[in-house]
This record gives sequence, structure tokens and C-alpha cells, in this order.
Amino acid sequence: MEKICHEWKDYIKDYISDKYWDSFKENALAVTVELKEIKSYEEALPIIEGLIKELDAQKLAAVGGDENSELQGLYEALKKNHTLYTDKFEIVKNGPTIDIGFSTAEFGVGETGSVCVDNYAYEARIVSMLPAMNIVFVDKKNMVKDMTEAFKILEKVLRRKDGLDAYTGFVTGPSRTSDIERVLTLGVHGPSRFVLFAVDK
Amino acid sequence: MTKRNLKEEIKEKLADPILRNNLSRFAQQYPAARMKAYGNIGGDAEIDALRDDLRQMKRETVAHIEEVADEFQASLEKRGVKVFRAKDGDHLKQQLLQICKENGVKRIVKSKSMATEEIRLNDFLVKEGLHVKETDLGEWMLSVAGQHPSHMVMPAIHLNRKQCAKFFSDELKENIPSDIPFMVQTARRVLREEFLHADMGISGANFGIAENGMIGLVTNEGNARIVTTIPPIHVVIIGYEKLIPKTSDASKIMRLLPRNATGQRMVSYLTLVDGPTPIIREIDGKMVEDMKKVYVILLDNGRLEAAHDPKLNEVYQCVRCASCLNVCPIWTSVGGNVYGHIYSGGIGAILTGLLESSEAFSQFSDLCIGCRRCTTICPGKINIPDLIQELRNRRTEKVGLALPEKIMFQKVMTNRKLFHTLLRAASIGQKPVQSGRFIRNLPLFFAKMTEGRSLPAIAAKPLRDRTEELFKKNPKNPKMRVAFFSGCNIDFVFPDTGESVIKVLQDLGAEVVYPHDQSCCGKPVLGAGDVHTAKKIAIQNIKAFEKCNADYILAACPTCAETLMETYKEIFADDEKWLARSKAFGAKVREFTSFVAEEYKKQGRLVKVNGTSKVTYHDSCHMKRGLGIYKEPRALLEAAKGYEFVDMEGADKCCGMAGAFGMKYANISLRLLENKLNNIKATGAQTVAVACPACMMQIGGGLDKNLPNVKVKHVADILAENL
Repeated sequence: MEKICHEWKDYIKDYISDKYWDSFKENALAVTVELKEIKSYEEALPIIEGLIKELDAQKLAAVGGDENSELQGLYEALKKNHTLYTDKFEIVKNGPTIDIGFSTAEFGVGETGSVCVDNYAYEARIVSMLPAMNIVFVDKKNMVKDMTEAFKILEKVLRRKDGLDAYTGFVTGPSRTSDIERVLTLGVHGPSRFVLFAVDK
Repeated sequence: MTKRNLKEEIKEKLADPILRNNLSRFAQQYPAARMKAYGNIGGDAEIDALRDDLRQMKRETVAHIEEVADEFQASLEKRGVKVFRAKDGDHLKQQLLQICKENGVKRIVKSKSMATEEIRLNDFLVKEGLHVKETDLGEWMLSVAGQHPSHMVMPAIHLNRKQCAKFFSDELKENIPSDIPFMVQTARRVLREEFLHADMGISGANFGIAENGMIGLVTNEGNARIVTTIPPIHVVIIGYEKLIPKTSDASKIMRLLPRNATGQRMVSYLTLVDGPTPIIREIDGKMVEDMKKVYVILLDNGRLEAAHDPKLNEVYQCVRCASCLNVCPIWTSVGGNVYGHIYSGGIGAILTGLLESSEAFSQFSDLCIGCRRCTTICPGKINIPDLIQELRNRRTEKVGLALPEKIMFQKVMTNRKLFHTLLRAASIGQKPVQSGRFIRNLPLFFAKMTEGRSLPAIAAKPLRDRTEELFKKNPKNPKMRVAFFSGCNIDFVFPDTGESVIKVLQDLGAEVVYPHDQSCCGKPVLGAGDVHTAKKIAIQNIKAFEKCNADYILAACPTCAETLMETYKEIFADDEKWLARSKAFGAKVREFTSFVAEEYKKQGRLVKVNGTSKVTYHDSCHMKRGLGIYKEPRALLEAAKGYEFVDMEGADKCCGMAGAFGMKYANISLRLLENKLNNIKATGAQTVAVACPACMMQIGGGLDKNLPNVKVKHVADILAENL
């Protein structure tokens, strides 16, 4: 998958710390992120199977396996029993009818419970925006303090020598609206459920 | 431009029960929601530091706006983006139409952009035969209904679910029940089709970063992400005021904007787009990948002129969070549809004046009562009431005052003797007040008070006729010499309060003097934008007080105090001689309660007592937010013998008097008064104390009609009772 940067780890290393996890968790839960703490990608499998069953999901689509062999392993395991697209053209072709999209995030922000996503690839945006459920994987260790630090990281990533076009941002829970009588309603345009696996290897 | 009947529009809004219910609930919930969102930042000091950072960054940017814009454009062009500059709405429309033609565009989806609403872009595109859909749920409903947004962040806050369901039903030609989740799912289904078949996506931008050309889009629904993803062409329409120099500057906006706008620590989606990115689509049955086409149009439409205006360029500090509306006593009473066609509230008046026309501004510019609540929370620390006043001054300079005000201000107010003769005449009959052309426009107490409030009477004997007798009690060996500036209200309506003030001062060991040449402080004239007349009045007052050689000049009206201390200096900024004299004069001015509290403290008299008669306190807007005085009057009341002090809910919310406003928009004024009376009633207090004679008039008039057992008293009256 194309990304604006394949070395995010190098840029975040000076900013991350375990001490931001608690505030990340508190803020993420407050905005209805379905947070799952796991020790390995394998642990996600039964949880995901449960979600597929709950939604009666027929079509799945996933990105980010090419950068992470364990995540790829999880996708392969899902493919055994389900229709799961990982090819970008197939993802896009089936975009409007996908039930669950799987994607990855680079780091989390303690202050807000947000995750930073590298969405340069078109298919990464399709899987995270069109389905009713978006399942995201983030490294539990990759937590930064606040938005000030998060933008310092972005500034460095975007200023790197080969940096030009970009599509990135922060996702903080599911799609929501309060436009009718200020009643909070989830899933107006994007996913109504945002499941985040924080993987602590 | 057609002349609006604003009073009729307001009457209609005040009578709308849905609007009233929605707005009052929101106004009540908003402050706590905002503070909760800031809970992990800290208290006022920490929030203030973030506001200062944002303000500073925006100040520096506007000072170099052309360079920043050039850098933004160069960054985008380096990335293959075509950049246009549009001098106004018509220019932009032609540029956009050309882009549509070149690319064979037929269907367009839009995510929220105030700038496009400002120039009425949708109407134009539809007329040109294009299929255009707003995708923000609220904006979509309003466009279907042919209505304008009443709030920048919550466009449909004036509607209820039944009204929304009707718009859904009309648009979709099917019967949609007023079930909110069902309506939201219906919108998802219908708008998803629009996204999938659009040829072009148009977005605004919450910020544009000069160093790399990246734009930031803030949404909760996620529509901006889809608008900037699926259609093969993306057009960004961005105003100059949204530009910031560096990527890291964006965090200065993002730590404040969601918290202030919606009480969220962060929105669901902050989408950052920089230049063309890949797009995959099916063309003739084959899936192909190519690059998206991106266009950026930088809209001027009055923005660059504002950037070079040393006073009005503060407007660049606005991040469009609309929190100024959320705390505005007028906006939360009448909603956003009585302001400009797109921008509402105080900031809306300023934006309308700068981006539309001075005439459009003038039609609703007096809906700001100058209470300054907005200035306490604005993320960019914009002095909204001051900018409105500046625009009013310029408007008056350009087109002059209406004839009645002209006669009143320029012929009567500049002639103290004539002015005071008219006031005395009013006290005899109380009748001439109600007839005659210009008398109706005399400040405050001459105007006709309507239902819901009692008419204040002009005192039979003004304070100025009582001073000689009162000063016989001046101490033999005074500790200080204090000159009393009474202001019109204390002089002619509440002279008994004037007597209390003098008694309290004499008890402090002061020799009190009263220069008879003093006149009105000039605030009503300044409010109407007639700076020229105000200067004449100021000179008269300064001269009168210079003669008496006092240690202090004391005012028991916070509006007068603020005008004497601050405004005189401002209006003489370009006049060296009078600037110096107004500074020397202003330096001696003290507000009554803060002065007395300080003296009482020195004398060890500020000791809390627990009396039996409950007293509550109403903060005058000018006192709390103009002068920053709110602890002192409370300390005096806590120490007042016989009283038990209790605070009321919303003590610092405007009572609705606000000078001439209370007369011109009597029905809004009464709505605010009604809220105030409810809060007073809830405390169970027998007395409501004030430190401002205008508030005393408003609240006193309301109590008389609605809570006759509760009395309003000036703090000075309460202190004098115990002497």
C-alpha cells in the first residue's frame, strides 16, 4: 500500500511513552471507540469472528497487511472462512457493499483519544469510510501526549526530503452527527462503529 | 438593498416555541460542556495561554498575509495543483464554471464551506444547470428547505425533528417518520449515491498551511473525507483568513476549535489533504488508477482590505467556532436567522460588514448589546463588541445619524444646560416625554418603557439640586477630596442613590464635591457611532473636573466609569493635547464598590456577617467584563449588617437593559429580563443588589410588575442603611 511515509516509527520515537496510555484510553472510550487491548494479532481473531457474526457481515476488505506480517497472518486466517479483499482494485470495485473495513493507524494521542492515519492510498480511505464498521490496529506503545506533539510529528514527516503530496489526519471514534435536535447519532456518512485493537507485543 | 423590518423578524422568532426551547436548552448546557472538554487542559489560566498562542500566531500571519498566500500558492503549484485567486464571488463563480466546463462536470458534492454560502455559490451552480448537493446533514436539510443556516456549527439548531422529517419527505417524495436514527440512516443512503456518482467534490478549509499547501477539514460526520476522496476532481475554496504558516501552527487551532465549538476534545475526523493523491475508479468496465485533479481558489471578497486595516484585521483571529454565539444573550434569544444571510451573532455582524456591505451590517448591527461575554471565551481573543463599534463609527461617519438622533446628540447633548432643562421639564409632567419627535430619542429614561416593566419616574429634585445641603455634612478634617461623577441616571432618576454614595464617602472621611458643569458621560452618543459629538461632551466633562482638583473622581455607574477611564483616551488617540488631559483625568477615576471595598478592607470592615435578610447580586456587564470588578461588591454585601448573601444562577448574564438597546428591542430586552427575574426568584432573596443604575432601572421595573416583594437596591444604598 502506498503511504505518505513508510518510516513513521522513526518520526514518532522521540514522542511516544507508555504514560500516555491511560489518558488515551479514557478519551477514546468517552467518544465510543470500541477499544480492545490485545497481546498479539492472533488474539484479535476470535473477537473479529464474533463481530462478523454479530453484523452478519458478508464482505470484508483490509489494508496494511503488506507492512506487517502478523497482521497479514490475521487477514489470511480470516480469508479462510470469509470473503476478504486485500487487492486495491477489488477493494474499490466492492467498496459500496463492504460490511467491515480493516485498516491501520500510526499512533494515538492521549489528550483526545484520536489516532493518526496515513491515508495516502485511496483504498485505505475506502475501507475506513464506506463500511458501517471500521476495525483499526494500532501499536499500543505508540501513544503521544497531545495534539501539539502530534502536529510536531506531522510537521517532521511532511518536511522530509521526499515529502510532497499527502492525505492524512486524525480519527476520533465513529462518524457522528447532532444536526437534528442536537441528538447524538452515529454513522451518518462514515462508520457507525469504530473498533480499535491496541496491540501490545 | 431592501430595508428589513428587523423588529417584525425578531417578534416572529421570539414567538417560535421550538426555537425558544432549542436555544434555551443549548444556552444552558453549553458552558458546562465546554468546560468539561477543557478539563484535561486546566483552568482559566491554561486555557488563556492557549488562546494567547492562537492569537499571536494569527496576528503574525495577518501582518504578512501576502507572503503567506504566495507561499501557500507556490507549495501547491509545486505539487501540481492549479491555484486561482478570486477577488470576489462573481470572479470565483466564473473560475469554477470554467473548471467544470473543462472537465465535463455535471454532478457536484459539497462539504461545508461558509465562504461558498457567503457568495451564494449553490444558487449560481444550479442556475448553470449543475447538480449540486450539500452533504453535511444540517446543510443538506436546509438546502432542501430553502433555508439559511442559523449557526455556523449547528446550522439547523432552529428546527425540531418533525420539521426535519417534513423536509426529508418533500425532498425524497416518500413519507419519512420523525425518528432521528431513521432520518440519519436515510440521509446516509441518499447521500451515499450522490458521493458515488459525483464528478467533483467542493470543500472549504478550516486552515491552509503555507509551507506545504495542506488543508485541514474538521467534521464529525466524515462527509469532507468522502467529498475529498471519491470524486476525481477536488476544488478547495478557502478564504485568506484561513492561512497559517506552519504545520505545527494547526495544533494551536485544533486544541481550541472543537472544545469551544461543540464541547469536544476532538472532532471525529480531522482530514488533512495536500495536493493530488491517487484515485482508483472503473472506466469502461476496467479498474484504473490515476491521480486526482486538485484546484484551489483563494477567495478575497473583502478579506485583503480587512487584513490591511489596523483595527479590523483582528477578524483574522476568528476560527469559525461560533462559540461567541453560544454565549450571546441576544443570539440565544432570537437565533441566527435575524442577522446576515450567512454569518450570525456578533462575529456575524463584523464578517457581514467586511465581506458583504456596510449597509447589510447596519441593518442588524445594533443587535450587539456590548455585554462582552463573547470576549471571555473567543479562542482568538477577538474584541467582538469593539470591532462592531468601530464599524458603527465608520458607518455613522459615512452616512450620518438619523435625523432625531442628530438633533438629540448634536444640538441637545452638547449643550448641558438645554439637556438638563429638558430633563427637568420631563419631571414636572412626565408627559412631554411621550410626544414630540426628538424627545423619544433622549437617552434611556425618556423613552417609553413598555409592558412588563414599570416606567421609571424622573425625580422631582435631581441630585445636583441636593448637593449643597448634603455637603454640609462633609468632614471637618477630610482625609481626601472626592469629586462625584453621578451620570444622568443617578442625577435625574435615582438621586436617593446619589445621596447614599455621598453618605458612604463622607463616612470614609472624604470631602465630596460635585462639579455642576458635568454632563452625560457620552456613552449613548458613542454607541450610535457619533464620535465627533462624544468628543465635545468629553471635553466638557474633563474641564469640569480638572477645576475641582480632587484626589479621586468617583462614579457609581460602571458604564460611566469605563467610559471616563478607557473610552475618552481612545477617542482622543490622535489628539495629543486632549489625549494627555483625558489620561490624567482617567487616572483619577474610580468605580464606587471597588473603591469602598478597598477602603473598608484597610479599616478592617470587610468582615462576613450572617444576617437574616437574604440579598443576591446581579453583575452588570460593564462592571464584570469591562472593569473586571465582581468580587468587591460581593465582599461588601457579605459584610453588610442584617444581610445574608446568596449568589444567583447566571448572575453575570445581561439583564437586557444595555442602554438604548432595551428601548429599541423591548421584546428581546424583556426576554432577558424574564430569565433574570426567574434566577432572582430561585434564590429566595428579598433584595437584589446592583452596582449599576441602568440595571437597577431594568430589574426594578421588572420586579415591580412581577415580584413586588423583592426590592432592588444599589450597593451604595445597602451600605448607607448601616451608617
